Amino acid sequence: MLHLLYYRVLQITRNHQSMFWALAFPLILGTMFRISFGNGMSGEEMELIPAAVVQETEGTVFASYMEEMDGRILELYDFSEEEAEKALETGEIVGIFYGTAKPYLKVAGSGLQESILTMLLDTYQKNAALVEKIVRERPEGLAAAVQSLQDYQEMTETLSMGSEVTDPNIVYYFALIAYACMSGAFLGLQASFDSQANLSPLGARRSVIPTHRLKMILIDLIALLCIHFLNVNLLTAYVHFVLGVAVGSNLGGILLVNLAGSAIGVSLGIAIGSLLRASESVKMGAVIGATLFLSFLAGLMFGNMKDIVEHACPLLNRINPAAVLSDAYYCLGIYDNPARLARCLVILGVMSAGLLALAFFGIRRERYESI
Amino acid sequence: MIQIENLVKRYGELVAVDHLNLEIREGEIFGLLGPNGCGKTTTINCLLALLKYDKGSIRIFGKEMAPDSYEIKRNIGVVMQNVAVFKQLTVYENIDYFCGLYVPEKKERKRLVEEAISFVGLEQFAKTKPGKLSGGLLRRLNIACGIAHKPKLIILDEPTVAVDPQSRNKILEGIQELNRQGSTVIYTSHYMEEVEQICTRIAILDHGRILATGTTEELKGMIKTGEIITIDAISLDERQLAEIRELPHVFELTYEEQRLTLRLSSARHNLVRILTYLQEQDLQFGRVFSEMPTLNDVFLEITGTGLRD
Repeated sequence: MLHLLYYRVLQITRNHQSMFWALAFPLILGTMFRISFGNGMSGEEMELIPAAVVQETEGTVFASYMEEMDGRILELYDFSEEEAEKALETGEIVGIFYGTAKPYLKVAGSGLQESILTMLLDTYQKNAALVEKIVRERPEGLAAAVQSLQDYQEMTETLSMGSEVTDPNIVYYFALIAYACMSGAFLGLQASFDSQANLSPLGARRSVIPTHRLKMILIDLIALLCIHFLNVNLLTAYVHFVLGVAVGSNLGGILLVNLAGSAIGVSLGIAIGSLLRASESVKMGAVIGATLFLSFLAGLMFGNMKDIVEHACPLLNRINPAAVLSDAYYCLGIYDNPARLARCLVILGVMSAGLLALAFFGIRRERYESI
Repeated sequence: MIQIENLVKRYGELVAVDHLNLEIREGEIFGLLGPNGCGKTTTINCLLALLKYDKGSIRIFGKEMAPDSYEIKRNIGVVMQNVAVFKQLTVYENIDYFCGLYVPEKKERKRLVEEAISFVGLEQFAKTKPGKLSGGLLRRLNIACGIAHKPKLIILDEPTVAVDPQSRNKILEGIQELNRQGSTVIYTSHYMEEVEQICTRIAILDHGRILATGTTEELKGMIKTGEIITIDAISLDERQLAEIRELPHVFELTYEEQRLTLRLSSARHNLVRILTYLQEQDLQFGRVFSEMPTLNDVFLEITGTGLRD
């Protein structure tokens, strides 16, 4: 088995065409992003989100909360309601917080900065509701609860709301890593060509060997997964350390998402290679088209695309593996949301298993109608 | 060693293999001869359990052949019609990869791989990738990948297509050597001279059917033609042509552009009899050829058409 695995790894890594798409192209794309975006991603300078607060009364808890955020995440303008509306319209500010009895937010767009503003308001509202509940039900625990909330705020400042994630261009890099994961489809496609007697002479030759078919498929899968996992990790390291774009500090989480991403990419390629009844070039075209289109929907070419899809057809973002991957990287780099990350990983796992199961029916076929 | 009974394979309306029966014995170099599209490769693919077939049974080494007949496959070496090697691996690595599918032991495998490389004469190219090999050398690599593990049964499907004469001779000699070493060989080709040169028994296929089976001599004995005499640069009139047509054992005569071709049934002194007649008529002529029938003549006579390429 090791002998077969060794040669499979050797063969895949020396396949320049597949490796170009699976490794070199994402690296080149990342470098081009870096050149295009300049130094905005260094993480050393903080890009504050311009916003306005329209207060009904001064000295409220919400007003204090906003003041706390001013200069750290937000660049707050003290506008009248009319001035704020105008500024929002012209794009001078990203959103308006209304400090009413139940504070609310108005935004004009649907990008990363708007998401952060929404998150800030959500955090406030959740905490306020919690404090109200404690006052109502267990007033003696109020001091401890407030202390706990302060601790949480310190923690979220470090992990999620730090300066390194406020640049909206990060969305492109998350989409890029998601694309790199998806490009494992090129490796998967090649492997499916080499496994099926009706697709290539090599497939025919490998179908008459005395090794069990399942074993061969398993060896191919292990080899592909290992190689592409390395590819994606290389790209992630390149983005983080060479391009200076902080993709998050949860190393275990990143490795897990990269692994799930590699699996979905490779599975997609194997599935296209096995199930699509078309010529080799059409299948290659289908893989290029699928990876680029799914990545486009996830925001690779246009940063706000994922948000547009989210508003127009949220289900698409749940079933588009590139979008799910991008979301998973968001969870690691921005939200620090383990539950959402877990959901993404489950979706990716289920999709990979589903694609592989479908592909298996194509590959496991042992006798063909024609070759 | 191999029994194929009543094999039928259809591609839609087309019957590619039509109730084919065949028995191949141990130690033979068995040739499947026929034009392109006659069903040779389809038969081989059915034999290897790659293709579904509509009817019939195939037994190899006394056991029914199926896709999961791994024990049978362990003793078979296959050289496909199309070169089936990894472009990314070197000559040595390719042979080692395929040999490793049959021989797990590293030392033994190394010996076998080196032997296979030497057998096909690729010593100089061990570290070369297939993309840099000529067509002939590539075919030799294809063969080495199929035979390195020294199988009991070797199936070669048109291994010499598009191969230069030097490589072709090397391949044909190699096949005979493998047979001498104990392997039974199935060899498909549409090159009759190759089949005639190396095969101990031959089946002639056309339109998916076996037309005849036997040794070269047996096949030639099945047809009327025993000798073909050709005489160049000769001028004959209608009377003389009619008289020649009436000579003993002549059953077919063609006369075009001063070239006389006669087909005669097998008999002694055919050529002497013809030359005597020409002398009696005081006829001048150029070169004279007397040929024994070839497998092409066998095919021609059985089917009424020549071997299609």
